[in-house]
Amino acid sequence: MKIRAKEKMGYLFLIPSLILIAVLVLYPVFETIRLSFFNYRIQTMALGETFIGLDNFKNIISDSEFLTSLKFTLIFTVTAVSLETIIGIFFALIMNQKIPGQGIIRTAVLVPWAIPTIISGLMWKFMYSQQYGVINYILKTLKIITKNLPWLSNAQLAVVATIIADVWKTTPYMSLLILSGLQTIPAQMYEAAAIDGATKIQRFIHITIPLIKPVLSVAILFRTLATFRIYALISVLTSGGPANATQSLSLYTIKTYFNYGNLGYGAALATVTFIISLIISMFFLGSLKRKLQR
Amino acid sequence: MTKLLKIYLKKIGYLIFFIFFVSSIAFPFFWQLINSFKTQRDLFSVPPTFWPQTWTLQNYIQAFTRQPFLLYIKNSFVIALMSTLIAIIVGSLASYSISRTKIKFKKIYLVILLSITLLPPITIVNPIYMLMRSLNLLNTYLGLAIVNIIFALPLAVWFLSSFFDTIPEELEESALIDGATIFQAFYKIILPLVAPGIFTVSILVFIAAWNQYLFAQILNPLKVRRTITVGITLYQTDYTVPWGTISAASIIVTVPLIILVLILQKKIISGLLEGGVKG
Repeated sequence: MKIRAKEKMGYLFLIPSLILIAVLVLYPVFETIRLSFFNYRIQTMALGETFIGLDNFKNIISDSEFLTSLKFTLIFTVTAVSLETIIGIFFALIMNQKIPGQGIIRTAVLVPWAIPTIISGLMWKFMYSQQYGVINYILKTLKIITKNLPWLSNAQLAVVATIIADVWKTTPYMSLLILSGLQTIPAQMYEAAAIDGATKIQRFIHITIPLIKPVLSVAILFRTLATFRIYALISVLTSGGPANATQSLSLYTIKTYFNYGNLGYGAALATVTFIISLIISMFFLGSLKRKLQR
Repeated sequence: MTKLLKIYLKKIGYLIFFIFFVSSIAFPFFWQLINSFKTQRDLFSVPPTFWPQTWTLQNYIQAFTRQPFLLYIKNSFVIALMSTLIAIIVGSLASYSISRTKIKFKKIYLVILLSITLLPPITIVNPIYMLMRSLNLLNTYLGLAIVNIIFALPLAVWFLSSFFDTIPEELEESALIDGATIFQAFYKIILPLVAPGIFTVSILVFIAAWNQYLFAQILNPLKVRRTITVGITLYQTDYTVPWGTISAASIIVTVPLIILVLILQKKIISGLLEGGVKG
């Protein structure tokens, strides 16, 4: 009797979250996809929505602003996540060691994570300043550069600058995720390998990497998707400039929606972003399945 | 002799590495902290001066007088608190049924939750904006809080249900035998036991809500309900960028978070790991 009542309770307890998900996730996703087949603008709202089939998507393919932002977003994502992963593994290996000052290291690592993205963007913006920025000053003092670099007003440098700021902000989180993988490796495995005469590098390649692979691949997936939707950092650091050189897909979509008022085209852009995210997730299907096994 | 030298070299090498490591991570924050006490002249001197020639609190005063900064803090705080409370209630209810009952569709529910974390916010931003507008929830606490909850839900359910798993079934059963209803058993026996887990999730949800920018900018553009993350970007005008004021405002917003992190370091790390990617 009680067991059946408990089961009933189980369904009941899911209802609040299901309502939230249905109204604020499922409905919006379908609504965006639906609207992507329509011409609908704020300026001509009185005319309503007109069905135009795939026209929005055809326009997207030849839209140079879209192509620039897609290219930037992809370069940004691949570079930032690769750097994060490499540095993150390095950090995690250090944090897994019994060394003095470990507490300080772990706390320091949490500082960039806790700072709101917006604020870290503002911090870096001033540090990158061409005349007054501390980064040019340090580089000049170290004799790496002779003239002040226009970090945020040169197209190539601006891409580098946004990547550095993002890596600084997100690597700590990545390293913590990798650390959780490292901590599941039993110390005996290393000892056995050491007795067999394996060098440190061999142990890293043949024991560490295979054993943290599951954790690593989920971490990379989450970071890839999060980086792909980058918005806040770039919005304060460069606002997409100079000349759209650092305009991410999210930035362009928001601009299309709320500045240009082109809701149909914005929806098509949002749908494309959604599809690319889906494709990225497909690559990691195996590791996602493992996460669901509970 | 050479062995001793080697050990010393190793120690010195580590020390150099340690200083470099910690300072490169923490430097941007410290630079901002120093800048917040600098006068306009020190801030815009060429080359930059590391230590302020004269220390000033002017920037901190400006932070509150140029914009209603206190109001922004209050708004952010209320919204983050609301998000946390509702996310915990909704999340712990769902976690209970995932962890303790034999319902069908558990897998599907978890797949849906997981896909929320994979979903780009940009895909849902406009319909949510339209929805909030038609419900008169633009520029309100509740509207933004509800959106924050959506993004907090996967973490909350994931983390809490693994916490529920650790509580022995017998505890609940004996309460049921003693005549408690299932709901009573839930909130009188189980909930107190998962309190540490709830605490950890609360911190993470609170920080995430506090840091929300995209939806805060879109849903709450009006001054009366503007949050800190949006407000702090509005000190700059087309003509001037008051870096001292912005630095001071950033420090005011960041220091409570850093203190929170320092105190709760262990809990935060365990929460991130559990809710993040435990394989």
